[in-house]
Amino acid sequence: MGDFIRKFLNLNRKTHIYFGLFILLFIWLFAVSGLLINHGEWKFASFFEQREEHKTDFILPVSMLTNNPDLVSQVNDKLKISGEVDNLKITSGNIDFRVYSPGKVRDIHINSMSGVGIIKEMNYNFWGRLKTLHLFNGTSKADPAKTPNWIVTKIWRFTMDITAVVIILLCLGSWVMWYRIRSEYKPGYFLLAFSLIVSMYYVFFIDLL
Amino acid sequence: MKKYYSWVRTLHLYLGLLISPFLLLFAVSILVFNHPGNFNKKAPSKNSTVLTTSWDSIPVRHTDLLTAKAIILKLGIKGEIDFISKNDSIISFPVRTPGVINQIRVNKLNHNVSVTRTEVGTLRATTFLHAMPGQHNASMRGNSGFIATWRYIVDIIVYSVLFLTVSGVFLWYLLPFERKPGIYILAAGFLVFIGLLLLIF
Repeated sequence: MGDFIRKFLNLNRKTHIYFGLFILLFIWLFAVSGLLINHGEWKFASFFEQREEHKTDFILPVSMLTNNPDLVSQVNDKLKISGEVDNLKITSGNIDFRVYSPGKVRDIHINSMSGVGIIKEMNYNFWGRLKTLHLFNGTSKADPAKTPNWIVTKIWRFTMDITAVVIILLCLGSWVMWYRIRSEYKPGYFLLAFSLIVSMYYVFFIDLL
Repeated sequence: MKKYYSWVRTLHLYLGLLISPFLLLFAVSILVFNHPGNFNKKAPSKNSTVLTTSWDSIPVRHTDLLTAKAIILKLGIKGEIDFISKNDSIISFPVRTPGVINQIRVNKLNHNVSVTRTEVGTLRATTFLHAMPGQHNASMRGNSGFIATWRYIVDIIVYSVLFLTVSGVFLWYLLPFERKPGIYILAAGFLVFIGLLLLIF
């Protein structure tokens, strides 16, 4: 065995152990929250029905609300709220937008003529926070071009990306490690081929068959 | 604990091999979920094709889901009915398979039927599978055979992942040369994790 290959195999083994340890808690978080999302029938983890709601009235200077390109961030600063901003709608006389973060949703409505506004806030319980963390990437189905506009969303999305890349490395690295000792673990051929066939069937061939 | 090492290592290896293609699928889909704009530029959905036809009668059953199923059976389309919208004259619903969306629209008054087919590609196929069964429309989810089965596959994958992490920690702990650096890395991961949660909440 060449020196380069020996070094690569050693690095691959260490990468598998250390990267796996580093993302351990992230994997647990995404695994458990994924289970909760897929099992709405688990009543102990219901959150939407148990949400807390409250409303807060406020008044803002009208001058802030007209011809202001930095309107949303100034309103958020004034109201001391932070989060991912979505669904901004400015119509004649009304400004509406949503500010959300895992476990917390705030819908803000402002009458831009009078400056009078209301915040409708929803707070989720522990399970709701867990589920929304799983989905919190700042994208929008309605607007695929939307990118995160809150620094925390950007950091969390980056964390998800890193977790995904590490999982890819762990999987590919595990194939390399098994291949080295394949003669001692021959059922590995069958298991890997079986799962490759099933996964490819789901991705590529469901529509054809 | 050492007497279990060989057993746990074998199980870790075989289970890891078994679920690794599915984990790759989920991992790739995370990147697609997180960067839809980039993927839309590089791999845009293929143009939709529209089929319009008129039927003598619309198959109506005693629930919306059964009606939708009877309609796609008549159209020869297979897939998961995602959700159903309807009013007095129209029943409309997307039928999805990984990579393809058929939007069905049926006019109950004049019996006109239209099918709009969109090919969204392999990468979005992974996001569809990642999102299934999901939290929405739980009462009708799994109305196609492949999603009814996929539901169990996903559960098996997640429980296997949990086992792999626990067995992985067990195997690492029994490696004396890796133990000390591993503890530092585990602690670093723990601190980053807690730090991020504090930042978010």
